[in-house]
Amino acid sequence: MSAPEEPEAKGFVASRRTVLALGAVAASTVVTVRPALAQTAGSIMACEIPVPGPHAAGSYIASDGTTVPPGTPGAAPPLSRPLTGEEAKVLLRGSTPPGVSPQAAQAYANYIRRLQAGMSGFTCYASLQMPR
Amino acid sequence: MAAPRYIAEPAETLAVARLDGLCALFHEPSGATHIVAPPAPEILDALREGAADAATLLERLAARFEVEDEAGADAIAARLAELEAAGLVRRA
Amino acid sequence: MRHQVSLRIGPVGFRVGSAWRAPVAALAALYAGYPAPEDGIADFTVRLEPTRPWRRWTRPSIAIRGDFELPDAAPMALAHGLLAAEMGMNLQMALGQRFWLLLHAATVEKDGRALILTGESGAGKSTLAALLGERGWRLMGDEFALLDPASGRLHAFPRAISLKNGAIDVMAAEVDAARFGPLLEGTPKGAIRHLRPNAEAIRRMDEPARPALLLFPRFGQAAAARAVGQAETFMRLTQASTNYVALGRAGFDALTRLVATPAAAIDYPDTATALDLVEALWTGASEWRAAA
Repeated sequence: MSAPEEPEAKGFVASRRTVLALGAVAASTVVTVRPALAQTAGSIMACEIPVPGPHAAGSYIASDGTTVPPGTPGAAPPLSRPLTGEEAKVLLRGSTPPGVSPQAAQAYANYIRRLQAGMSGFTCYASLQMPR
Repeated sequence: MAAPRYIAEPAETLAVARLDGLCALFHEPSGATHIVAPPAPEILDALREGAADAATLLERLAARFEVEDEAGADAIAARLAELEAAGLVRRA
Repeated sequence: MRHQVSLRIGPVGFRVGSAWRAPVAALAALYAGYPAPEDGIADFTVRLEPTRPWRRWTRPSIAIRGDFELPDAAPMALAHGLLAAEMGMNLQMALGQRFWLLLHAATVEKDGRALILTGESGAGKSTLAALLGERGWRLMGDEFALLDPASGRLHAFPRAISLKNGAIDVMAAEVDAARFGPLLEGTPKGAIRHLRPNAEAIRRMDEPARPALLLFPRFGQAAAARAVGQAETFMRLTQASTNYVALGRAGFDALTRLVATPAAAIDYPDTATALDLVEALWTGASEWRAAA
């Protein structure tokens, strides 16, 4: 790989060497490409997030977003139908949708944030994160 | 405590493309693509002379180029940390 | 499946099966004049299935299934069956395509050279491409550009153009009503209507083209154009590709080669201005080529 700037005086015998700037300590010189599947797939179809997913059907949602046995004190009940992408965005913003208590809203929001690859609703969540 | 020494990923593992002043690198073993700005590519080249810490790299670079900065070894150390996070260099 | 239709779009053959007749009938009508898959063999299958067995009849609800699926996809109403079929085909390409490097872009061709319009959804790429297709350019596609990693040439993939809201009226004023699919209202993206590419685009769908100009259009700003550097273009294109990572080294080589193509970002307040900007930049790019 060659250095970025060419010597100014090409016609002369080069006594000046090419300049190399090292960059500020806090600078960023390496950018890694991140896959964009979620964005493009998300732009292709409307998505939904079941709360909780089928793997934990019937479980309640604790305030930190983990799934807990039904009736656990302080935990929010499962949602009767999956959230749409728009509804998920509202929760992730910290807002409380109508018909839901603020504590439940926070529990559901944390559940969404805890979704990982392979779980139902993950690609929906990931597509919501991508800038449009 | 001795400063860490680094080795660069071998040249054969990287495909390189110059893109107006920057370099796009494809790292075959990881399948990852990185875009790197100077002095990152020059540091990778200089590491291929052998494992080195930031101070040694500064000497190697100064031997080849007119190095501009006061920050010197600190800047190199910061670059090495970035390259390590990207998987393009690792500790010897 | 009960009902099905097979068709070829550029180099890709699809078989679309459905539990209901209506979506397949609408798809066949929209793609009238398109060839069948080569040797009758489809590359991808899409299946429109009821979300539960009884949802075939009661409040019919379509689950989009196929060779490749997204488990989080929201089900669709039967009234939007044509849209479900189109989304299903998009999904097969986005998840399953491994030969062509795919870019989310609209492409048009003139004199064997391709103009690629890429960028965020809602920037108006489909509408611009549709209009250019009626003004002396050949439409190669409005959703996906197919780049051959080995040769660097773009191959046409002329799907029905997906027009949303205001764009529907713009094109209705320009083209024969027979080329339109049904008006679909209340979809997740508002009102949608599909437009079949014109006869020339269909007839010439097997002709590739060399990339000659990359544009990043942005709607809603005063007219402006600026050159975009290769590194920035490369980065933007990795985000516009659904399969760059999956293609590995071949993807890297294809994209680094593509960014040698001149690139510009354009802002436009209305489509007339956009079309002028496009023609001006195209002429400019031709002059750079002639001088080189």
